[in-house]
Amino acid sequence: MDCKEFLNHLDPWLAGDQRREARVHLRGCSHCRGLVEDFGALRAAARELSASDPEPPAHLWNSLRAQLEQEGLIRTGDEAGARSSWLRRLFAPIPRPALAGAYLALLIAAAFAASGPIHRRVNDYRWVQDTSTEALRAQLNTTETATVASFRDPNPVVTASLHTNLAIVDNYIALCEKSVREDPQNEIARDYLYTAYQQKADLLAQMADRGDYGR
Amino acid sequence: MSALALTRRPNGKATGLLIAGVLIFGVTPARAHRLEKRFKVDTHPVITIHNPDGMVTVKAWTRREVMVVANHGSEKVEVDAEQVGNRVDIMTHQLVDTIAPEDMRADYEVSVPEDAELQIHNDSGAVSVANVLGDMNVETVAAGVELADTAGYLTVKTIGGSFQCVRCAGRIEVSSISGSFRLLDLRSLHVRAQTSTGNILFSGEFLPNGIYKLKNYSGVIEVRFSPADSFDLSATSLKGKVVNEANLTPPAHRRFFSRIGNSLFGSINSGRAKVDLTSFDGTINILKRQ
Repeated sequence: MDCKEFLNHLDPWLAGDQRREARVHLRGCSHCRGLVEDFGALRAAARELSASDPEPPAHLWNSLRAQLEQEGLIRTGDEAGARSSWLRRLFAPIPRPALAGAYLALLIAAAFAASGPIHRRVNDYRWVQDTSTEALRAQLNTTETATVASFRDPNPVVTASLHTNLAIVDNYIALCEKSVREDPQNEIARDYLYTAYQQKADLLAQMADRGDYGR
Repeated sequence: MSALALTRRPNGKATGLLIAGVLIFGVTPARAHRLEKRFKVDTHPVITIHNPDGMVTVKAWTRREVMVVANHGSEKVEVDAEQVGNRVDIMTHQLVDTIAPEDMRADYEVSVPEDAELQIHNDSGAVSVANVLGDMNVETVAAGVELADTAGYLTVKTIGGSFQCVRCAGRIEVSSISGSFRLLDLRSLHVRAQTSTGNILFSGEFLPNGIYKLKNYSGVIEVRFSPADSFDLSATSLKGKVVNEANLTPPAHRRFFSRIGNSLFGSINSGRAKVDLTSFDGTINILKRQ
C-alpha cells in the first residue's frame, strides 16, 4: 500500500477498519502516521469537549479554526509567512476544496458532539448569547464562497440541483436560527438547525469533490 | 408550370421516407456505442456503478454471473466494466476535458445474482433496482431512485432526486434535501427517512417491533395505516399541523415534547411498533388506509 492508497483507506481506518497492509504502510510512513495522529487528536478533543462540563463552544471553534488556518484551508492576516507543513506537502496533489469539505464535516460532527450536554441542560443563556453558531456560519460561508467559485460540473442538471438545494438549505438554516433565538429551549429547533448545518457541509463537500469527477 | 414549381410539388412517398429518416437519424438519440460483458462471480459479489448521467437499471437473475449492457451515444465518453476478484466495477469515463451535457449520458442494464451487493452513484437520470437481496448503497444528485422487492441493508442519499421503495425489506435509511419519498408496502423493521423540503408517504403495515422514523422540514408527511396495525405513535410538527384519523390510546406519561408545537402521542392496539413522525413546518397526516 502506498500513500495514495492509504489516503483512500483513511475513512475506513478512522472508523476502525485497520487492515494489515494499512498498518504496515503506517509503520513505515511518517507522513501518513502524522496525519492519523492529527485526526485522532481532533477526535479526542471533540470527545473531551462533549464529555466534560460544557466549555464555551468558542474554544472548540478557535482550536479547529487554528487547525484550519495552520493547514492553509482558510486565510488569516498573518498567513504570508506560513510554513509549509507536512500535511500540505502530503496533500499537495489533492484539491484544497476536497480537504476543506472533510474538515467541515469533522467540524460539524464536533459541534454536534459538543452540543450534547448543552442540549440536555437547556441552557437558555448560552443559546441566547451564543456565538458558536455565528462562528460556524461564518466558517460555512467562507467555505461556500470558495467552493461555489471553483465549482464546475459539465452536467447542467447537477449544477442546477446543487445550487437550488444549497439555497434551500440556506433558507432552512436562517429559519431554524430564528426559531432557536426565539425559543432557546426548543430542542427540536436546535436539532433541525444542526441537521441543516450538516446538510450544508455535505453539499459543499460534494461540490468541492466534483473537480476531478469522471477523469 | 415551371421546373421549380414541379420540384415543389408534394410527393407523399418521398415525404414519408424523409420523415422516417429524420426520426431514425435525427431526432432519436444515436446509440452508436454498445458494450456487453459478462463476468462469472461467487456468492455475494459486489457491483459498483459510477455514472454521471443516464438510466441505470439493475435486475436480479438466477445465474451466478453479472451481465452489463451499456449504451452511450458519444465518443467523448467511454464505458468500462472490469472484474476485480468478486467485485465488478462499472464506470463511465469522460475522455476529454470539456464535454457537452448530451455527450455525458450512458444507460446501463445490469443483471446480477440476487445476493449481490450494489453501490450505485448516478448523478442525474434514474436508478431502478428490482429483486436484489444484498445490501445496497445508492447516491444521486438529481436522479430519482426506484426500488422494488429488495431485502438488504439499504442506504439511499439524494440531493434533489425522489425515492420510491415498494415491498422492500431490510433496514432502510434514506435522506435527501428536496427529494420526496414513497414507501409502499414495506416489509422492513427499521425505516429512517429524512428529507428537508420533500414529502414522505408511508403506506403499508407497521411490523411488530419495527421502528419507523420519518422526518422532514417542510412538505407533507403522510402515513396510511390499517386499523389492525399495532404501534406507538409520536407525531410532532413544530409550526405545522397534525391531522389524525387514528383512534389513539393516550400515553401513560406526559412527554416533554407535548409542550412544543403540535404534537400527538398515543397507541393503536398494543403498540408493538414505534412510529416517530417529525416536521418543522410541514403537515403530518395520519390517515386510514383504504
